[in-house]
Parts: sequence; structure tokens; C-alpha cells
Amino acid sequence: MKWKTLLLFCAVLMLAASVSACGSNKNENSTPSSPAAETKSTESASTEPSNSGEAPVAELEGDFEIQYFVGGYGDAWWKSVIAQFKEKYPKLNIKESAGPKINDQMKPRWIQGDPPDVIYLDGAGSNARQQIEDGQLLDLTDWIKEAANIDGEKITDKLIGQPDLFDGKVYTLPLVFGSWGVFYDKALFTQNNWEVPTDFESFLTVSEKIKAAGISPLVHAGVYPGYLVGGVLNPAIVSANGDDASILVDIANAKEGVYKSEAVLKALGQLVTLRDKGYLDKSAIALNHTDSQIQFLQHKDAFIPNGLWLENEMKKDTPAGFSFGWLPSITQAPGGKYVAVPYTNAIAIAKKAKNPEAAKAFLQFIYTSKAAVEWAEKTGALMNLKIDLESANASEVSKAAAKFYSSDNIVVAPTFAYAGEMGKTIEDATIALIDGKITPEQWAERAEKQAATERSKAK
Amino acid sequence: MSANLKRSLFIASFILPTFIVYCIFTVYPILRGIYISFTDWSGGSETMNFIGLDNYRELIHDPIIYKAAYNDYFIVFWKVIGIMLIATYFAVALTRLKIKGSAFYRIVFFFPNVISVVVIGVIWRFVYNPKLGILNSLLSFITGKPVETPWLGDSDYALWALLPPAIWAGIGFFMILLIAGIMSIPAPLYESAEIDGASQWKQFFHVTLPLLWEQLKVSVVLIVLTSLNGSFIIVSIMTYGGPDNATQVLGYRLFEKAFGTYQMGYASAVGVLILVLSLLTTVVMRWLMRRESVEVS
Repeated sequence: MKWKTLLLFCAVLMLAASVSACGSNKNENSTPSSPAAETKSTESASTEPSNSGEAPVAELEGDFEIQYFVGGYGDAWWKSVIAQFKEKYPKLNIKESAGPKINDQMKPRWIQGDPPDVIYLDGAGSNARQQIEDGQLLDLTDWIKEAANIDGEKITDKLIGQPDLFDGKVYTLPLVFGSWGVFYDKALFTQNNWEVPTDFESFLTVSEKIKAAGISPLVHAGVYPGYLVGGVLNPAIVSANGDDASILVDIANAKEGVYKSEAVLKALGQLVTLRDKGYLDKSAIALNHTDSQIQFLQHKDAFIPNGLWLENEMKKDTPAGFSFGWLPSITQAPGGKYVAVPYTNAIAIAKKAKNPEAAKAFLQFIYTSKAAVEWAEKTGALMNLKIDLESANASEVSKAAAKFYSSDNIVVAPTFAYAGEMGKTIEDATIALIDGKITPEQWAERAEKQAATERSKAK
Repeated sequence: MSANLKRSLFIASFILPTFIVYCIFTVYPILRGIYISFTDWSGGSETMNFIGLDNYRELIHDPIIYKAAYNDYFIVFWKVIGIMLIATYFAVALTRLKIKGSAFYRIVFFFPNVISVVVIGVIWRFVYNPKLGILNSLLSFITGKPVETPWLGDSDYALWALLPPAIWAGIGFFMILLIAGIMSIPAPLYESAEIDGASQWKQFFHVTLPLLWEQLKVSVVLIVLTSLNGSFIIVSIMTYGGPDNATQVLGYRLFEKAFGTYQMGYASAVGVLILVLSLLTTVVMRWLMRRESVEVS
């Protein structure tokens, strides 16, 4: 009998533990999350540095922690700029929390309200929009209006892509700048005397020739429909909308009626044209990004929508003689402007940062031409800063892209993040559309329905 | 210390450690998961607000959930049939039919079980690859014209295409389980059946099957449970629930919601749904397969 009592006792103990665990979380709810309560800025640092346009002279000290994800861009740039930052502020005790799994490793700290000071938002498990909604990032709206880098240049003047707005406020600064687009092999085109398309008409013309040569014109990663949406559909929507790119932000934010708009239906019509003419590789829906990229490199397909990272990503598998060419968009009308739909990885300061002054100083330290050139050389990609890349050691595609951005013949769309499941709905519907299962009108209907759900959730 | 107390302490010293570990790693997470399903927790925020049954209301109105549940049971149904038929056949063949080199086949058939499901998924992605895969190459060779069916990309085939790897990966374990069962059947039973002139078929139906019933029952329940909880792996490696949710399963939906759109509360509600469905299914399966077990004394 006794051990039964013992068992019961244990069960009660466990229940009590779980209940109290739930309770402890509720306690956390009621803790005021004012950053001031936890701020430990030093006296000297509290003077706002560098608004005068000069290098900050204020001495920073105390602990300063940076969380950064290490992925395709490596960590060489981070190590280098952090070392330079440390040299400038020797009294700072800098801690780097970095690695390919850092987002998961640091998650408990964010949940407990003990975040690092600066976070670079990249990689799996990181989502800027979510962290803003969760109230974890510092509002930078007023600061960024005036902030200058250590060379005395106003940061917003130097940015290629401006910061995303969330309810009209700035929480993150885009650090990496890249863009979706459509890739082709220059060598293959020269060899076959194919013309590089400049608009949708010429894309259709050259696709017919490519098809006749026994090559499938366009492959994409159907398993991740974001590639097709980012590289083909979104630019098409902007072009159809009279080059007004704000429509993409409306789409991401679940605005009523935008999915049924003429511009969206026209862009979907272009996808249907590609589908019906047989220019979309039928096998693509089954492929993930690697599969599709390998088919592209093996010349089984002539074009592929992708991001500017493609050349670096496929370095090991690229056959000799392959020469990456890149077009921001293929869906504009003859004579129309190119449309670049950018992607970005941002950097932000935690709302509960313990050393926000050092965090701001760090941002001012890295948004400089010197750091941007170093970024291009160490990662092969572009930092979100207007610089002259010709001399830098960036990849050819990046340099070509930088040239596109600085030309007058291009519309650079703002970056955006989808509300809730808006992105998934659009991607699923797009796959169903190119698979011939639904019509553009049904696509619009699905998206409008999901948008209504998202709007009702946001209330 | 009385003898009774000593005895109780002795028993407790065996039960308690396991019980505590069980509570920490099984009971507590389940209770915690159920609690989270009543909140709006994003999975990363400091705060979670109690929102009652809102997540369950959303669950009922989520059309993808119904599709996912249907797909789950579709996979369970065909996996049970596929694995049980083939595993039983192999087990009988390797024990009763006196095949040469049966030990060798036993190892070969068990092989997929040693390989991680992730690797199996990756291998089969290559098999199904529309242009480079071995399946379409083979079909092209047989039919004499190029076949480029995107097996995993066509919403009509994709779910069916998940079955071969799932079944192939499962056979070995249940084959071994059934082989052990058959080996424990006393040889004289077969001998006397043979003397009475029973054919292999008759022996199978009247000797093997009744005496193997317990193992068969356990196998079916195990397949059902592991499929309901484990289809996630093969889906997340091979199709990501696509195209257009054609291969969506509850486990993957949970994953999407928890780590894709950061709705941990909703994802926990999906988890609770999986728990309830698993329990119900097990009860129903046991009821369907109830039959007096025959024991050899």
C-alpha cells in the first residue's frame, strides 16, 4: 500500500512542478520590460556620440555582446570588424556569440529577457518581423534619422536599401544587400547566338529558340516556390503596376483587394503564358534548390530564378567555361525598366540591451565604406552601402548587380516580410497555378481569403 | 525498521528513478505542451498570454489540417498493408521455406533499418529525380521514349511516391520481430501438420497465423503509432509538404507553424491533436484486432 502513496506523492510533485513552471512564466509577463531598468550605460557613454558628424570621442566600457549567425558569408568579416572595434574602444569587453546554430542556442536567453546587445538576423531560426512583434528589438526610428557613421557620413544617405518600416517605425538596419533575378550562362548564349532578353517579348522569343535546341528554357526550385515568386512573379507584379513597387509591401501586409488587382492578375497571366508555351521545366515542381541549380549548371535548362548568392553557392559544381549572367527581371514590357526585388539580412539592437550605447557605436562603426569594401572582399557579396566596387574583390555577378542598381533603368523594390502565412499561401497557390490546377482568379481568391484571416488575427 | 517498510523501500528504489525520469521527460513535456496550446506564445517571446480555446478554434477552421490528417491516415493505411504483407512474407519465407542463404537475406532485408530515415529520404529523392533519377531512366529504357514524370512534384502521385521509401524502410524491423515469433512456435506442431498432409498454405493459416497473432498485433500498433508521429521526417526530407500541400501531414504542419510562422501555441494545439488521434487510433486498432490469443503451453 505504502508505495502506492509514494507514487501518488510523486505524481502530485510533478504536477505541482509543471503548474509552478507555468506560473513562473506568468510572473515574467508582469515584469516591466523597460530597457532603462536594465541599461547599464556608463557615464561617459551616455553622451550621444557622433551626431555632430565627427568620430565619437566618448569612451565606451563594460560588457558588449554580439550575436551573429555564421553561414554562407562566413565569419571572417565579423572577426575583423570586431577586432577593429575593440582596438578603438579597448575598455569594452566584447563577447561574440556566433556559429551556424547560434539562433537556436541563444533563444532561451531571449525568452528569459537576457538578450545580447546586437543581433545579426540571418539563418534558420531568425526572423526579424517575429522579434519585432515579440517586442524584442529596440526602436531605432529617431536615432537613425540623424545617425552618422564614424567617417561623419549620414548612414541613411549611404544605404542602398532603406530600413524596413514596421508600423512606421525602424527596428532593423539592412546589412546585406542582394537581389533576386534570373541567371543564365553567358557562354551558352554566345555559343548558340541567343540574345539575352531585355523584356518579356524577347524572353519569349529566345525561349522558343532554346526550346527548339532541345533545352528547357526555365527551371526553378518548385519545392521552395519562393525562388519563382522572388525572381519572376514579384518583379512582374511591380512592372504591371506601373513600376510602383509599394504593391509588394501591400501584398506582404495582407491588404484587402490587392491580390485581385489588375497588376497581380496580369503578372499571373505571364506565368500562365510561360506554362502554356511549355517554357517552364515540367520537372521543376519536384526539385529543391540544389537539384534545380545542378540542372541549370548541366545545361538542361537555360534560365533559373535565384538570388545573388548562386555563384558562390555552386562554386564547387560549376563546370569550366560556365559564365554566370544575371538579369534583375524578365517580365517588363518592351522599353520598360528592370525591376530588382531585393533581399536583405538585417542587424538590430535588443530592446533589453545592457549596453545600448556600445551597440549604437558598433552600428556607426560598421556602416562605413571601408567596412563595406571589406565585406565584399571577404564574402563575395554586397553590403547595403553605396560604394564603388570596381576595385574590390567581389564576385563578377555582384559587380554586375551593383552596376544595375546604380543605373537609371531599374526600379529597386523595398524589402518586406510576409504577415503570418501570407507567404506560404502565395507560394502554394503559385505552384498550383503553374501545375495547371488553378486559374489566376482562383489564385487571387485563395490569397484574399488568407489575407482576411491574417487581418482578423492582427486585430 | 519494519520488514514491511524495508520491502517498500526496496521496491521504491527500483521504481522511483525510472518514474522520475519518465515524469521529467514524458509527463512534464506533455502537460507543458497542452498548456502552451492554450496560449499565444510565439516560441521566442518572453511573454505568453492565455487565450483559452482560440488555437483549437483556428485548428478547426484550418483546411490544411484536414488534408494533413487525411494524408496521415492514407500513409498509415498503406504502410500497415505494405509492411505487414511483405514482412510476413519474408519472415515465413526465411524460416519455413528453407531458402538457401536465409541468414544473408535476413541481414540484407534488415539493412534499411540501420540507415537513418534522413538518408533514405535523400536517396529516394535521387531515385525520383525527374531528369537524373534512376526510376525515370528505367522507365525510359523500358518504354523506349523519354519519361520525365516529376513523381514528387505532381500532386496526383506525390503522396503515393512517399510510400515505397516509407515501406522499404520499415520492413526489416518487423520481419525480424515476426521471425522471432515464428521461431518460437514449436517444431512438432508443423511436423504433425505435415504428417496430416497440410500444405504450406494450410500450415500458414492454421499454425503460423494464430500463434503469431500477438506479434502481428504489436506490429500493426507500432506501425500506426510510428507513422502518425514519424511521417514528418520523410515529408520534411522529400517534399516539404508540397506541392500545394499534397503531401502535408500533421507533424509537418506542426513544424511549419512552430518554426516557420512562429506560432508555437497553435503548433502545440496540432501536437495535442496528434496525441489524441494516436490514442484513439490505438484503442480502435486494438479493438479491431481483438481475438483470443492462442498460447502454446
